[in-house]
Amino acid sequence: MKTLTPDGEKLDLFTVNIGPSHPATHGALRSFVALDGEVVVAAVGEIGYLHRGFEKMVEQGTYQQVLPYTDRLNYCSAILNNIGFCKAVESMFQVGVPERATVLRVLLSELSRVIDHLVCVAAAMNDVGAQTAYFYFYNPREKVYAIWEKLSGARLTNTFSRIGGLYRDTYQGFEEDVRIVIEDIEKAILEGLGMIEHNRIFVDRTRDVGIVSAETAISYGWTGPCLRASGVNRDLRKDEPYFGYETYDFETVIGTTGDTYDRLMCRIYESLESLKICRQALARLKPGPVDSDDVRLRQPSHEAAYHDMEALIGRFKLVYEGVRPPTGEHFDSIEAANGELGFFIVSDGTGNPYKIKVRPPCFTQYAAFHEIIEGGMISDAVISLSSINIIAGELDR
Amino acid sequence: MSHSHEAHETAKTWADEPVAATAQSRKDAQGSLFALLNGKFGVTLDPLDSWGLTVVVEKAKLRELMLFLRDDQACLFTTLMDITAVDCLNWPGHEGPRFSVVYILRSLTHISNRMRVKVWVEEDDLDVPSIHDIWKIANWQERETFDQYGIQFVGHPNLKRLLNHHEFVGHPLRKDYPAQRRQKLSMNDPMLDQMEARLKAQGYTILDSIPETSPQVEDVLKGGN
Repeated sequence: MKTLTPDGEKLDLFTVNIGPSHPATHGALRSFVALDGEVVVAAVGEIGYLHRGFEKMVEQGTYQQVLPYTDRLNYCSAILNNIGFCKAVESMFQVGVPERATVLRVLLSELSRVIDHLVCVAAAMNDVGAQTAYFYFYNPREKVYAIWEKLSGARLTNTFSRIGGLYRDTYQGFEEDVRIVIEDIEKAILEGLGMIEHNRIFVDRTRDVGIVSAETAISYGWTGPCLRASGVNRDLRKDEPYFGYETYDFETVIGTTGDTYDRLMCRIYESLESLKICRQALARLKPGPVDSDDVRLRQPSHEAAYHDMEALIGRFKLVYEGVRPPTGEHFDSIEAANGELGFFIVSDGTGNPYKIKVRPPCFTQYAAFHEIIEGGMISDAVISLSSINIIAGELDR
Repeated sequence: MSHSHEAHETAKTWADEPVAATAQSRKDAQGSLFALLNGKFGVTLDPLDSWGLTVVVEKAKLRELMLFLRDDQACLFTTLMDITAVDCLNWPGHEGPRFSVVYILRSLTHISNRMRVKVWVEEDDLDVPSIHDIWKIANWQERETFDQYGIQFVGHPNLKRLLNHHEFVGHPLRKDYPAQRRQKLSMNDPMLDQMEARLKAQGYTILDSIPETSPQVEDVLKGGN
């Protein structure tokens, strides 16, 4: 493409597609770039390659049937999506879940956050060629997936939370498994961190690359670790605490310049803080029911249904009609691994959602991607993309 | 955090931890925000939102209201969380315009400030003023809402489909679009128009556009171009 630069010089730009099918895009994302040599002069993005009509399909079933779809949003931390959706529906009824379910939700959320961050950081290491660090960050996730398998039977798409409780209580030996996994992950993170934190090659590749100022990040609606990397100390768990997060002792991690290095380091240190929360949650875990006894939300147990007429009717109604939130429009969100994951639910009082709109955190980050990479090299674009952790499942819905 | 309460009170920079919102502080914020906006813009309360604050505003005052919400010291809605629409076609007993466009807002400065703004849109007049220049993220959110519901955001620089394929016909989240309908979509979007617009916005002059090459599937299979 022949152009005149703003200075009036003739410049022949080479246009090329990065993606949609490229190993460095970690999913189907397309970025169409105009290059001057190796420098990205202009970029435009296209998404939708993984659009499968989440919002249309959830209108076809009941509220409980939405849950498996939420797994497929951010599939690196499926349990967080489940919990976010359940919390949104529960908040329409303005009821909570029993103490044990709340503590378990905190524990599972934080473990999910840790493995989500680990995937992001590990993939970024892979993209800059730090293969050893990649394995140090990537492997400990397996042990968490083993716990997920024992809990729910699935590795990735767990569907573990339920509206008004959890799928079921934990298995025998769960606490011990979690205790071991926390130690293992902490060891792995510290070892991996030792490899990269002051590593000349890594620092040179990521420092001052893909800088996003706080103002730009806010205008693009960023939330979560990417916003915090730009130096904005905002975390829903602190600002608008839910599930009793205000009673846990942890710190928010913020960056200074908002470059790729800050974004990756924020994720790593945030994982360590999450492990701190996991330990505290583990100490608080007391035996008790995990399901709410409110029959509007959670079906009574089989045992109750066999002995109690009301419980039998409750099971029947919940399966056939579904959960029926009060009529109205409601928005509720949680701090997911990538930022604020919100659900805008419109209920007409029946068991089928009238409309559910997901507010995916990485949508806002990818919308800003062209601004991040313009002016940098192609190889910087690759590492910038890894650092904003785009998960196509929630980006495209 | 070991910050004292006094430190919270004086939190001025982004790096300071804000005072956490409570149920009471949210309620207070909602009350004072509504009083302020009702007086200034004549907004009304949306009866459908019994959990938080949703105000309904006329289309003509939307941009003015949004600018006020972003910049006024009592509001400071720094973040546009999402834009979406609701199709009321099947809403039991619904009378009035078919669509509503909903703007979900949050303030990172006043943590208790969360609200939604709603405009009603008639089916035969789908125009809504664009706010892409007030928050940068609105650009893509408006494209998505146009794609899914067909709302026309007037003044948007590039109102193209975002999630669905550019050859897609119809607006899938409308209630009269059947969930099981299939469409055959084949061609790539060359995106040259967007690229040229982006370059022009940076001060470049396009001397010679490259031709859009969209090879036919049959040609590619035969090995030609």
